[in-house]
Amino acid sequence: MNGRVETWSRLKGDPAGVAGLLIVGVFLLLAAGVWAGVLGQGWADASGGRWESPGAEHWFGTNVLGQDIFERSVYSVRTAFEIGLVVAVLSTLLGAALGALSGWYARTWVDGTVMWLKGVLDAIPFYLFVAAVAYALQGRPWAMHLAMVATFWTTTGRLVRAEVLKLRGQDFVRAARTIGLSDARILLRHVLPNTSHILLVQGTLALVAAIKTEVILSFLGLGVQDGVSWGLMLAESTQEVPAGHFANFAAASGMLFALLMGFNLLADALQDAMDPRQASL
Amino acid sequence: MSATVLSVRKLSVFLRDGRAEQTVVDGVSFDLAAGEVLALVGESGCGKSKTAEAIMGLLPSGLARLEADEIRLGDVNLARLGAEAMRRVRGRDLSMVFQEPMTALDPVFRVGNQLTTPFRRHRGQSRRDASNSAEAMLRRLGMPDPDRVMRRYPHELSGGMRQRVLLAMAMACRPQVLIADEPTTALDVTTQAQVLEDLVRLGQEAGTAVLLITHDLGVVAHYADRALVMQRGRIVEEAGVGDLFRAPTHDYSRALIAAARGLSG
Amino acid sequence: MRSVASKLLNGVLLVLGVTFISFLLMVWFGPDQTYTLIGKNASPEQIEDVRRQLGYDQPFWQRYGEYLRELATLDLGASNASGEPVRALLARTVPVSLLLMIPGFLLGNLLGIALGLTAARHRGRWGDRVVTVLSVTAMSISFLVVIIAFQVLLSTPYGLNLFPVRGWQVDGFVSYLQYVTVPTLALVFVTVGYNTRFYRALFVEEYGKDHIRTARAFGAPERLILWKHVLKNSMVPIVTRIMFSIPLVVISGSLLLESYFGIPGIGQATFEAITSGDQPVLKAVVGLTAVAFVLIQTATELLYRLLDPRVAR
Repeated sequence: MNGRVETWSRLKGDPAGVAGLLIVGVFLLLAAGVWAGVLGQGWADASGGRWESPGAEHWFGTNVLGQDIFERSVYSVRTAFEIGLVVAVLSTLLGAALGALSGWYARTWVDGTVMWLKGVLDAIPFYLFVAAVAYALQGRPWAMHLAMVATFWTTTGRLVRAEVLKLRGQDFVRAARTIGLSDARILLRHVLPNTSHILLVQGTLALVAAIKTEVILSFLGLGVQDGVSWGLMLAESTQEVPAGHFANFAAASGMLFALLMGFNLLADALQDAMDPRQASL
Repeated sequence: MSATVLSVRKLSVFLRDGRAEQTVVDGVSFDLAAGEVLALVGESGCGKSKTAEAIMGLLPSGLARLEADEIRLGDVNLARLGAEAMRRVRGRDLSMVFQEPMTALDPVFRVGNQLTTPFRRHRGQSRRDASNSAEAMLRRLGMPDPDRVMRRYPHELSGGMRQRVLLAMAMACRPQVLIADEPTTALDVTTQAQVLEDLVRLGQEAGTAVLLITHDLGVVAHYADRALVMQRGRIVEEAGVGDLFRAPTHDYSRALIAAARGLSG
Repeated sequence: MRSVASKLLNGVLLVLGVTFISFLLMVWFGPDQTYTLIGKNASPEQIEDVRRQLGYDQPFWQRYGEYLRELATLDLGASNASGEPVRALLARTVPVSLLLMIPGFLLGNLLGIALGLTAARHRGRWGDRVVTVLSVTAMSISFLVVIIAFQVLLSTPYGLNLFPVRGWQVDGFVSYLQYVTVPTLALVFVTVGYNTRFYRALFVEEYGKDHIRTARAFGAPERLILWKHVLKNSMVPIVTRIMFSIPLVVISGSLLLESYFGIPGIGQATFEAITSGDQPVLKAVVGLTAVAFVLIQTATELLYRLLDPRVAR
């Protein structure tokens, strides 16, 4: 485990990591702009003609309904962050909690139950699960988020469990138990903070997975219902592309790629900074 | 004076840590005479193992850099040798035994498979001949049932037995030099003495010079002829073992000896 | 013997868990199927009839028990949408999906292993960096984008126009190649990044192990180290990885690929069942996926015994 200062300085020295951070920062600003009502507000307006080419008035052109593709692309940044952040934070917290319990009470019924749950959730085909949750929620919009959180936590949970198992046998934990600290306190104050490097990296990866999953879900009609997202734009583009109109596709896939690349570079750099043994430096 | 079998001049090893380079071995020079047991002593982190890895040509290539005027084994300068030629030297003229016998053998192959390798590779023996040679070697190490040992997998043997197997492999070709890097540190006390005895005995029988790396001064006193004291990448003292203990010239050596005496009461 | 029994128990619990959750979500909380079957203008008696047929008047555990019995005896009913018996549907679609997914799945892993090995052997040098950058790039592209792009580039006049745009008119090896190539390329592209990452990490760890150092210390050539020592020791993690990614890649991936390319496999059937609420089909798919998962786990355990002498016999 590395100290925070060393990790930060190693991160700063990694050009890929810095690039990732910058890219994510730019997109975050865009999302903030949309939230603040300053950017991307015209995403639903049919302000132009059908399939206009990119030009001065519509930077990326328009889609089949005459909506400005640039506005839609920018608004989608907000959608992506919303879904990504919600799923990443919740699934990481859930994974940390269940993984820690599982590791701490390893080989007891607590561990057994969590592992069983993990196995069950890993075994259900994901899209089926999303659909099933959507049915159960009878049309409320958070089926997608719920399904993602319920399945994404397992990876984090597995890693946290392994780490907690390792930490459990270490001296500082044994010392804490000897003094008589309660299990909950030891877990919260001493053990979990030592898994923060795992949580940070897994959280970033979960963000990436959430955004990618939303794209496919929206294409299948199981995702974003109101508003616009890159997934919906790509779904639209499947009709347009065979007819030779690539603007929608290019815009959505380009921005999606840039954001995902930024996060992936960042996740990699974080991983290397926290555990240099695996670095490809 | 007997012939010098290994001659090291100005050996340095640099480790890459991000962008910067750390000097872990700094201009080390020494001679190893035929048949002698030379101890390389120092606390952990002083560069002893890296020196050994450098001589063997086993430094991790992306992360470590080697500089040396000379690493002369017999009449070959290992420092100038290409990778392919160096590969042929290893296990034949120059061997090494490492500290952790529990992880040093490949867990998915039987002991016999691994033990016969030096015989087949460097002495060109057939499978059967190599098998016999290997068994003979194990018998010389005092193992009562070499055939059964050969058929086992490493995880079925104790640490001491695994180290003996590794020792047998190292001595298979009667190398000119055997480097033993803390060969018994990971073993329990009773086994330690036995393995060290075996090591020194085999070395003498084959005329092999031994570079014995250790942090344990008791081992130095018992088994070594001469000693090199290493501190922070440099050799700070070089003396016969008797002289070293009677009248150490360097402060660091004095401190080491005093500490060891303190521990043994 | 005891471990076999406990593994079996785990498997059963798993199947129960999966079926329970899906039953809970889809059937219990799910939409009322009555009206989809007989329309809105039915008489009260007809409605009652259908409800009784569907079992809506029964308590939860009875319905769940009924579901399990149906699964166990493979009495899977017929599709609500088409009336086709579910067993026939499975027999028709599963082979198609296998033919579609297996080449891409295997290629994606083989390529990932090869690239991961290259990166691990040249660790820290430019070969490693190139492979890493390529994998991260591949991981940042959405499956959907890849599918659309490949279709345009390979199957339309805007690109090479070499392959059919969609469909599955397979009646021989040549036509098989025509229809399977573009989806396979897409699948490989999308999985190779993740696979390479995983395998690179695995091989870096293996190459760093003590027994590799020992092999080098005795003069083993690099090729021998790779094939004899590193690969054999990696077989257990590789097998684990491949086996456990089957559900994820093959089942979820087939849904998207088949829907997009109009290939009549189990993925497409599942998707249609999802959108039309065709419960008999969905129940069958979920149940069988769970069973397949358990079978895969068992097979993996058996493979471990073959590959690693340390696993108790």
